Amino acid sequence: MDMDIKRLAKLAKLKFTPEEEEKYAAQMASIVAMVEKLPDLDASGPLIDPDNPMEFRKDEVAQNYRRDELIANAPEVQAGCIVVPKTVAEE
Amino acid sequence: MKGMNINMELYRLTAAELSRMIRNKEVSSTEVTKSVFSRIKAKENEIEAYVTLNEEGALKKAAEVDEKIARGETLSSLAGIPVGIKDNICTKGLRTTCSSKMLSNFVPPYNATVINKLEAADFVCTGKLNMDEFAMGSSTETSFFKKTKNPFDTSRVPGGSSGGSAASVACGEAIVSLGSDTGGSIRQPASFCGVVGMKPTYGSVSRFGLVAFASSLDQIGPFGRCVEDVAMLTSVICGKDPMDTTSVRREYPRFEDHLSTDVKGLRIGIPEVYFGKGVTEEVRQSVMKAAHQYEAMGAVLVPVELPQPDYALAAYYIIACAEASSNLARFDGVKYGYRSPNFTSLEDLYENTRSEGFGEEVKRRIMLGTYVLSSGYYDAYYKKAKFTQNLMQDMFRKAFTQADVILCPTAPDTAFKFGENSDDQVKMYMNDILTVTVNIVGLPAISIPCGFDSKGMPVGCQLIGDKFSEQLLLNTAFAYEKAVGGFDLSRTLA
Amino acid sequence: MIVGLEVHCELNTKTKIYCSCRNSFGAEVNSQCCSVCMGMPGTLPTLNEKVVDYAVKMGYALNCSINPVSKQDRKNYFYPDLPKAYQISQFDIPLCENGHLDILVDGKEKRIGITRIHIEEDAGKLIHDESFAGTLVDFNRCGVPLIEIVSEPDLRSSAEAKAYLDTIREIVIYLGISDGKMQEGSIRCDINVSVHKPGEPFGTRVEMKNVNTFSGAVRAIEYEAARQIEVLENGGTISQETRRWDDLKGCNFLLRSKEDAQDYRYFPEPDLSTIVLDEEHLAELKASIPELPNKKVVRYMQTLSIPEEDARLLVESVEKAAYFEEIIAAGKIVPKDAANWVLGAVSRVINETGKSIAEIGVSAEKMAKLIEMLEKKEISSSAGSTVFEEMLHSDKTPADIVAEKGLAQVSDQDVLQQIVDQVAAANQKSIDDYRGGKTNALGFLVGQCMKASKGKGNPAIMREMLLKILEQN
Repeated sequence: MDMDIKRLAKLAKLKFTPEEEEKYAAQMASIVAMVEKLPDLDASGPLIDPDNPMEFRKDEVAQNYRRDELIANAPEVQAGCIVVPKTVAEE
Repeated sequence: MKGMNINMELYRLTAAELSRMIRNKEVSSTEVTKSVFSRIKAKENEIEAYVTLNEEGALKKAAEVDEKIARGETLSSLAGIPVGIKDNICTKGLRTTCSSKMLSNFVPPYNATVINKLEAADFVCTGKLNMDEFAMGSSTETSFFKKTKNPFDTSRVPGGSSGGSAASVACGEAIVSLGSDTGGSIRQPASFCGVVGMKPTYGSVSRFGLVAFASSLDQIGPFGRCVEDVAMLTSVICGKDPMDTTSVRREYPRFEDHLSTDVKGLRIGIPEVYFGKGVTEEVRQSVMKAAHQYEAMGAVLVPVELPQPDYALAAYYIIACAEASSNLARFDGVKYGYRSPNFTSLEDLYENTRSEGFGEEVKRRIMLGTYVLSSGYYDAYYKKAKFTQNLMQDMFRKAFTQADVILCPTAPDTAFKFGENSDDQVKMYMNDILTVTVNIVGLPAISIPCGFDSKGMPVGCQLIGDKFSEQLLLNTAFAYEKAVGGFDLSRTLA
Repeated sequence: MIVGLEVHCELNTKTKIYCSCRNSFGAEVNSQCCSVCMGMPGTLPTLNEKVVDYAVKMGYALNCSINPVSKQDRKNYFYPDLPKAYQISQFDIPLCENGHLDILVDGKEKRIGITRIHIEEDAGKLIHDESFAGTLVDFNRCGVPLIEIVSEPDLRSSAEAKAYLDTIREIVIYLGISDGKMQEGSIRCDINVSVHKPGEPFGTRVEMKNVNTFSGAVRAIEYEAARQIEVLENGGTISQETRRWDDLKGCNFLLRSKEDAQDYRYFPEPDLSTIVLDEEHLAELKASIPELPNKKVVRYMQTLSIPEEDARLLVESVEKAAYFEEIIAAGKIVPKDAANWVLGAVSRVINETGKSIAEIGVSAEKMAKLIEMLEKKEISSSAGSTVFEEMLHSDKTPADIVAEKGLAQVSDQDVLQQIVDQVAAANQKSIDDYRGGKTNALGFLVGQCMKASKGKGNPAIMREMLLKILEQN
């Protein structure tokens, strides 16, 4: 199995010590061996389920929250906004 | 009827019994609620079923119900009944942690739809029940807060992930409870703790406000000490919810009004592969004894072919972890929940928050989910698992032309000891091998107690039905319950 | 130069795409949010039906085929403006595919392929302030509905790209699905640019992000093409990368190379079931598409003989174009005359008063009548202006106003001849001047005739009569 633990951790925004990395690599190897027991079948074509059509929502406004309720759980707030470390400009 | 002794033992009664007594003014909801909280005080140190208790809120609500009854209002059958709620179901103003450090201080400003429905039925909320962290586990050992004990033997696990929901009902710390089932998380702990637990058809209960583990598999469901209690709770929570597009619009009956013990001519499918590898002889025998009990009552046992449990388990872990890796990405220390104090940059904030806030099992599953979705692996894992899911649905469709209900063990073995499986993930995951298939195909299934093994631990019998066949499942379970004279919880309620 | 564009356009639905929060611009920070668009645990999206309808309309407008069965997918990445850490978008089955758009460049139509149109949610806004060490997050824009329109690499110059963007903007405004306000970020685009020598295969494409104005798009494309040519001429190679356009500095810089390409781990959104559109509804949406501005301009030019400049000016405004068409339908008049009135006097009033055409209260029928009277020379052009001014303030018809104010242009030969004879008799000197070669004396004489007729005489007829006298002998 060619699992790049470092790259996956980066994608998942997790950080591991070298020891943890080793442990995870071993554990993941046996888990992946388990999940590889899938039957041989043709898995081409799109994944779509036309038998479960969605009921759409009507375009009608409902305002149910006050700002203070929504940001009450935030770790850091300033001027009604949530605060994060300075971001480098992207998009 | 207001003697001290009787009040102290009200917690031992079923929701159905208490409901009749409350509405006949034989007892008050306040008395029932106090009885349950005194039971909690007596047992909680030992069992540790709750993450958060709601005594003040519960007594206030009970008093309200009593006033309504005094005014002669017509109330729902669940009115005034103390119900415990799994801690991944959002309760407005009441801490909802998912048993994770990540959400240890999270107080939702909204209710899950099932909570709104229960509130409309005037339920009394006892508190929030312990679980495996983010519902990932089969023993409730991955909870950040505590290890819930099996009331039959406190050296053993209660099962999981809804371990608190099962244990609390088994030992009288709640009359009934809600759990959630993604791969067996209601049925397996019900089986381990000797209670009844049902996973309804995917789409019959709204998932709005259930903190998602695997969106396409998660379903909220009830625990009770008898089938009628489970039926009562199911009736309240079912229904199309405009807030959940995956919930299904259809008529949902009041199941408890239609319970029947007639199983004559019922075709009960016996899938041989689900009695095979890994299933202990004692479990096999207990479950087959239940099957023969049905036969004696006029049902017919027929062999049915079902998907290989190995396939199901593989597809399950791929789909569940893929969805989980995405569902749990929102826990990033920005808007709510834990934020690591150690950071200088945004990247640090993310990585440290998530590494410190999540436990090991959660991180393992996020890593697996990230892997199976990552570029180059998506087709081989995720997509193939989804096609396997279609294949399995076809097999079940065929099976249900041959049988009305399928019967098999809920878990390969009875409750294991703490730490017994914690070092071997694959061995732990094998606990789910008989339950995950049902989630993968979106069917309803119920676990009912069917005796004890030689260690005195309860064995669970799983009944699987076709989509939206909850009434038939409940009736089949009810027939067995009546035939064996009820489920024996004398040891845990004592 | 090869250019392809990905245009993101905010739809002007009342509510957001996945929750019932108000979709509005410029509200107080975090005041247009709920548990769903804040990505709180356990909350679920519900799809706004208008978003689907609007996207399908755009699909029909751009000649796409519509997928009656489509789905939504999750695009996973972490950023503080994305509360769920995934964006709900569409990956392999967009609502609309395989269309085209005809744009007008240098008076000629050019067909640009449309790869796809899909629906997705917008992200929040990050507020950077010099006085503050951190970044502030405002979630109001989270869940604002977007359509992403992806073009084929069919554009060959920045002018074509500009024409394409202008046309897209006009169309969304025509369809009423977006307000198209660039200063509010309603339309933004990502640009793919590559260069190659004639006859050689296409070069490697570079993606540019953060282009928020159409003029910025022109500058960004020219900058990037020049940069690539310079690299190639110096013997370098172009690598597939993403660059960020900085409009203030007028240059772009590397955001990420191909090696750091994001792995978005797309997979079908399990919280939303399938989008299934029935034929009847699709037919209704298709039937609701009006004639589009790009086609209108060409029709005005080709069948109504309106110059391109005027055609564009008319079509730019849905209201003006509609008014113009109502006027020419209401009377038998020369379209160019109607265009002149709409772009002249009517536009001036709109600009001065800030009112809409409907609000100024001059119906197309009245306008047509007025133009008819002018064309038939029943009133003079100065009388025409008077009639128009009067119509702004009263409900009277042009005919009533003309009658009331005595503005009818006199064309009666006898009456006019009498006036002309009188003027000629009184101005022998001017007649002599004219005959002596000072031809501008004619203007003076016509003026005198107008004055004598109190402005009502038909100047053309009187001019003819004067000429007859002047050319005698």
